[in-house]
Amino acid sequence: MDPLDELKLELQKIPWFRDLQIKHLDLIAGISQLRDVKAGEVLFREGDRAEYIYIVLSGRIALDMAVPPRGKMRFHTADPWEVIGWSSATPVVHQRTASATAVVDTHLAMIDSTKLRELCDQDHDLGYLVMRRLANIVASRLMSSRLQLLDMFAEPENKNAK
Amino acid sequence: MATHVHTHSPASPSERLLEPVWAQVMDITNEAEGISTYWLKFTDPAVEAAYTFEPGQFNMVYLPGYGEAAISISSNPADPTLVGHTIRFVGNVTRAISRLKVGDVVGIRGPFGSYWPMKEMEGHDVIIACGGIGLPPLRPAIYHIMNNRDKFGKVYLLYGARTPKDLLYPTEFEEWERAGIQVQVTVDRADEDWQGQVGVVPMLFYRFRMDAPNSVVLTCGPEIMIRFVVYEGLARRVPAEQIYVSLERNMKCGQGSCGHCQLGPYFICKDGPVFRFDTLQPYFNVEEF
Repeated sequence: MDPLDELKLELQKIPWFRDLQIKHLDLIAGISQLRDVKAGEVLFREGDRAEYIYIVLSGRIALDMAVPPRGKMRFHTADPWEVIGWSSATPVVHQRTASATAVVDTHLAMIDSTKLRELCDQDHDLGYLVMRRLANIVASRLMSSRLQLLDMFAEPENKNAK
Repeated sequence: MATHVHTHSPASPSERLLEPVWAQVMDITNEAEGISTYWLKFTDPAVEAAYTFEPGQFNMVYLPGYGEAAISISSNPADPTLVGHTIRFVGNVTRAISRLKVGDVVGIRGPFGSYWPMKEMEGHDVIIACGGIGLPPLRPAIYHIMNNRDKFGKVYLLYGARTPKDLLYPTEFEEWERAGIQVQVTVDRADEDWQGQVGVVPMLFYRFRMDAPNSVVLTCGPEIMIRFVVYEGLARRVPAEQIYVSLERNMKCGQGSCGHCQLGPYFICKDGPVFRFDTLQPYFNVEEF
């Protein structure tokens, strides 16, 4: 199969890509590639230039932060259809704030962040769809981070506990 | 720990709610740090023969000299001759229970409370969303589904804990999977050796496609987790009357007399612990409650 056709076929499997018009799917396919990473392989490291947004097509990617002296702390894993590296689509983020490692063999779509921003600037209909999706991702990550921060499974201080 | 055993043993269900009957600790399973399961057998064969419970119900576990604690039943309802209680040691009574050994005896009143609507759930998909010590009250429901698997549609268990070592019953997950239950496990925090998912329980709703009108959601865990599980269910248009929550709040008398566990007009011990969400909805996000 032609690599571009294979790429489009993979992108069409992503639920939120089904909202895109054909011309928008073609535009995004033009700035995207497929990538496979083996279990244990590092996709990017904290501090690297943030050049791509990734969408997990199969497998699992873990996000870790190095926390001296505790070592690497895993704070999120991304399973199929989840986006990682989303902040590189914003104009202010230029470097990775966490490291991403494949937990198992993983198949990804990678989208050039700079070119995606340019496409969004040129075509505001596409830009609206992309930014609306990114807003959903930010909202769910914010909710998840907030609940993790609350440490909801910590033993509550309860003087009435029996 | 030595415990005196009364000779009189009330065998009728109504008597059992007022006066403890005695049960011997047959086995103790260490589940996680500060959490163990106690496997109890009634000392009176007549009590054992009469005792049944529904998934989601609890017993008042009594230790002479220390008092009583409301503990949900975590074992298989198809085998009530061995009653399991998974207990977190957090207070005076439960810390005393943690010092019990096999062969010791405790008092039991119960079973108390409302239960998961297993009969009404038949023919539906079931989403069991729980966290931490919220899994034990749902394990009997899991066993019931396994015992009657053809009566239910798709079944998902969404379970989370603070860290990998806090997960309860991990050795059973494979068996549950083999029985046709899709098990999704996550932890709030982990190191890089953990191969499973990291994130919070409500986010597990993003991992599968739900037939919302035909789904029933059962949830138990920290109240803040329950709140967000309910949000995820409602956001996917699961009807409020198909969402059930089990709450745990300072139960003392087990009969709705003392008011320690009151939530709005309800007493968790008498009217709960399992509630249909639409009945709780007016009181759910009210800070004072």
